Amino acid sequence: MTAATVRDRAVRRRALDQSDRGIASHSDWRRPGVWLGMSTVHLILLILLILWGVGPLLWLLKSAVTPTQDTLQAPLAVFPHGWDWSNVATAWNTVGIGVQFLNTIWVAVGSWFVQLLVATTAGYALAVLRPKYAPIFNGLVLATLFVPGVVLLVPLYLTVLHPPLIGHSLIDTFWAVWLPAGANAFNILLVTRFFNNLPREIFEAARTDGAGPFRLFWSIVLPMSRPILGVVSVFAIINAWKDYLWPRLVLTNPAVQPLSVRLPNIQSQTDLGVFLAALAISMIIPIVLFLVFQRLFLRSAGLGGAVKG
Amino acid sequence: MKSPRTAAAVLAVTAIAGAGLLTGCSASGDSGNTNGTVAITIASLVPGSSADAFKAFNLRVKEFEKANPKVIVKPVEYQWTGPTFSAQLAAGTLPTVFNVPFTDSQSLANAGQLADITSDVKKLPYANKFNKSLLQVAENDKGDLFGIPYGPYAYGLSYNRALFTKAGLDPNKPPTSWDEVRSDAKTISDKLGIAGFMVFTSGNTGGWGLTEQTYSRGGRMEVAEGGKTTVTADNDQTVAALKFLQTMRWTDNSLGSNFNLDWSGMNQYFGSGQTAMYPSGSDVLTALVQSDGVDPKDYGLGLIPTEGDNSGVLSGGNVAVVSAAASPAEKAAAVKWIDFYYMQKLLDKSAAVADAKSLISNKQPVGVPQLPIFDKAQLDTSLGWIDSYINVPKENVAPFQNGIFDQKIIAEPAKHTQELYAALDSVVQAVLTDKNADIDALLKGVNTQIQALIDADAK
Amino acid sequence: MTTSSAAVRVSRTRRRTPLTWIRGGGPANLLFLLPMIVIFGVFSWGPIVESVVMSVQHTNFVTAPTFVGFDNFLALFRDPLVPIAVRNTAYFAVLALIFGYPIPLIVAVLMSEVRRARGLFSALAYLPVVVPPVVSVLLWQRFYDASPRGLFNTVLSWVGIGPQPWIQSAATSMPSVVLVATWAAAGSTVIIYLAALTSVPPELYDAAEVDGAGLWGKIWHVTLPQLRPVLLITFILQIIGTAQVFLEPFLLTFGGPANSTLTILQLIFRYAFQNSIGLDYGKATALSILLALFLALFSVVYFRLTKAWSTN
Repeated sequence: MTAATVRDRAVRRRALDQSDRGIASHSDWRRPGVWLGMSTVHLILLILLILWGVGPLLWLLKSAVTPTQDTLQAPLAVFPHGWDWSNVATAWNTVGIGVQFLNTIWVAVGSWFVQLLVATTAGYALAVLRPKYAPIFNGLVLATLFVPGVVLLVPLYLTVLHPPLIGHSLIDTFWAVWLPAGANAFNILLVTRFFNNLPREIFEAARTDGAGPFRLFWSIVLPMSRPILGVVSVFAIINAWKDYLWPRLVLTNPAVQPLSVRLPNIQSQTDLGVFLAALAISMIIPIVLFLVFQRLFLRSAGLGGAVKG
Repeated sequence: MKSPRTAAAVLAVTAIAGAGLLTGCSASGDSGNTNGTVAITIASLVPGSSADAFKAFNLRVKEFEKANPKVIVKPVEYQWTGPTFSAQLAAGTLPTVFNVPFTDSQSLANAGQLADITSDVKKLPYANKFNKSLLQVAENDKGDLFGIPYGPYAYGLSYNRALFTKAGLDPNKPPTSWDEVRSDAKTISDKLGIAGFMVFTSGNTGGWGLTEQTYSRGGRMEVAEGGKTTVTADNDQTVAALKFLQTMRWTDNSLGSNFNLDWSGMNQYFGSGQTAMYPSGSDVLTALVQSDGVDPKDYGLGLIPTEGDNSGVLSGGNVAVVSAAASPAEKAAAVKWIDFYYMQKLLDKSAAVADAKSLISNKQPVGVPQLPIFDKAQLDTSLGWIDSYINVPKENVAPFQNGIFDQKIIAEPAKHTQELYAALDSVVQAVLTDKNADIDALLKGVNTQIQALIDADAK
Repeated sequence: MTTSSAAVRVSRTRRRTPLTWIRGGGPANLLFLLPMIVIFGVFSWGPIVESVVMSVQHTNFVTAPTFVGFDNFLALFRDPLVPIAVRNTAYFAVLALIFGYPIPLIVAVLMSEVRRARGLFSALAYLPVVVPPVVSVLLWQRFYDASPRGLFNTVLSWVGIGPQPWIQSAATSMPSVVLVATWAAAGSTVIIYLAALTSVPPELYDAAEVDGAGLWGKIWHVTLPQLRPVLLITFILQIIGTAQVFLEPFLLTFGGPANSTLTILQLIFRYAFQNSIGLDYGKATALSILLALFLALFSVVYFRLTKAWSTN
């Protein structure tokens, strides 16, 4: 198998799909200089990406099962004295971050549900039902996109302290995180646009069949919206898992704190090795979710690229 | 396919369930007074304390509940830090009984944010025996009492005896002058490659530590004359203290390489053997054992070197206070708890022994240096009761315990203390991280900033 | 189709009574809008208005808030920490642009040329984005250990560079913070660019080649112009995002050493939640309003300018 054969096979594979070309054309690729140069650059890029993206995380995993003294004295050595699961066990049992781990899941699930509820019902009303006053609300929601989050911080905190109608504060309850999460204009934008692009003939057909607005929503629109619901869900869960400042403000009792809030608080009282094990535990779920749902993540992230519209 | 009404039903149920859950949940633990029982939440230990420390504490809680069956006690992790206290106050997440340092108790009392417990405390048999000047920190301007002071401390020099030995220094002879501190630190850092000496730098503790170093040379941060307070952060002694740190940092390189340490960070730094000496409160050993795995056998406490006229040792302490939101029944129960947990071990032999026993059984230190709340005689008596339980080697803390009563004890600056400390934090950080820090300019900046705050109060 | 337009025609000529509203599906509309109205009203629109109101008040928990006019804003101008925070935030934004704007573009262009296993590249680039920022920051704090045994310093010693102070010195603290922030965020920029790059119509490249364009020519005349909308939007989004940076400097350095990494958001947080006696909600909301106004102004000017460029 010569280099030429490999190259020709690659070129032939590409030539099969004429539209699959980037900046370099197929004839460009056939030139040995271009092919070699590009492949080298890509190899270097791959190595750099591995070092950049995965390197720090691999180090964390390694240190989680390394005794603390080794991590302090020779951080880059690989298991100079063998490995040691006790840090992980201590982190889970003694430091007890299992509680906060569950809290993080709880927070994520609740925020996800609230966001989905608000976005789908609002999107449905604005894009499918289209009452006469819809444009007002559309505008109000879009306007909040232009207000930086910083403006909300203090008054939102006070609102949670003294919510309208309810007698006592929501501090140290999950509602303090779930409910404000629903006020996400970006979600409504995404869902509204998606619903707007759905073929209206289906709605008309369903209406003439006698479907009321609830049936239309539940049986027609929602099933058709799986793609956008997937995107909104991905954003919702990841954002909930990563959130720090807001949960830190409103969840002060360790029994309800998620991992992101608890970890910095116990840093100074926790042995380094145990702490790194705790960090490693907290990054497992998002990474696993990402690896499993890669395409969904990357497609959602690329959505910003379709912002031209 | 589900019925379309389901969608409407789901929406409605969500709304109702949401409302129900919201009204059903209770945010703080201060409710639940039924059948004549009172429930209170109390500050237990700092977050991250060891499981053993919590076990010891919970033992005491059980003993209290047995003696007071009508009171239910719920411990809550708690740590007072300058930056976060008022947020907790605003959010109502403070326990019924919690602690604040001497620097803040008076202003909080005057602002009506603490419960007036004068009458409840008067019922205690020892109400008149308190050291009067100590009690003042817990009173408001009118003389009403808002808390009970406990755990007064003075600054000392905590050092690691094992590291001293390893570097060839005598662990029984900690440095007694600032020059000795410097040379010992240099020896240790040269031999062991760690910070021979280090100081607090952040979370308002940088300013707290710098104030101590000023006092130890005879200077003062604030001067009160005829009702007016002047900030004097740029006094010669503070400049000398900063120059001392500057020399150790940039010439001797004996301060290590981590300069962002607040109270718990510094304790961890010391506990993990990355520094051999640091000025600290004399009561820090408890936290070191509870949170940082320090063995009392390796711990030593010496006196902070004092030089010059008017020099002394910074002292402070904590006040056990009751939240202003407490009902009269809760206040009475709270005072009972404060009496039981903080006071009885000083006044009653069986209580002292019970406390010592619970600490010992959970590997907590007994015999951490203390200053008297009532008077020295009472303190000596109470220490005599638990003499057989003391597990902190006496010779380790002898340099401090023997010498402190000859020292002049100086209280922390009185006005806007926490803001002063916060402003001084960045001065200390600047000196330690910037070779060309302009000490005079930085200190003058602090003067201006804090003086503005003090003057604004007078308006 | 005819049914609904007939219904519309009928309802236009009939009097609008509550009954016609109900028949026209009014209650259902309202019910579906209810979650959004309640949530946004309580947790978005209300607080925005309240923010403006609070910025001209003095709030104290014992008595009702008092109106103090522009006192809060004046107090901001007198506070020595405000110009420091503004300068630091601008520094962060500029550094973040330098590290986090062109490099992801270059990486994305290279990645768009990858034929097989582009998914692998994308996953590797995006991985840091899904790691919770608290974990990233605390992890990098270890890397930044300034002693000679620290991780980064060990790596530097392999190439003969002495130990760096990283976050222990005012000179290097902000770049260190930016590096962490970029590690965590650059991946999503790469993916956005990649998505835009792969949607460039290939015919344009074919046409450019017919006109004799080489590799660089194609990039300059086809790729970049096609990417212009995305580039413009990510630029302004990045500015708005970095102006509000909080977590990285807060957790990494607490705003130190000596306030060298104190950002505007951290200052707002301090005013509102970290003063030990007495919270200053007035100053906090005043500062956040000022920041919001600045960003709004910046966006308006930006869009005007870029519109001018687009028409060239």
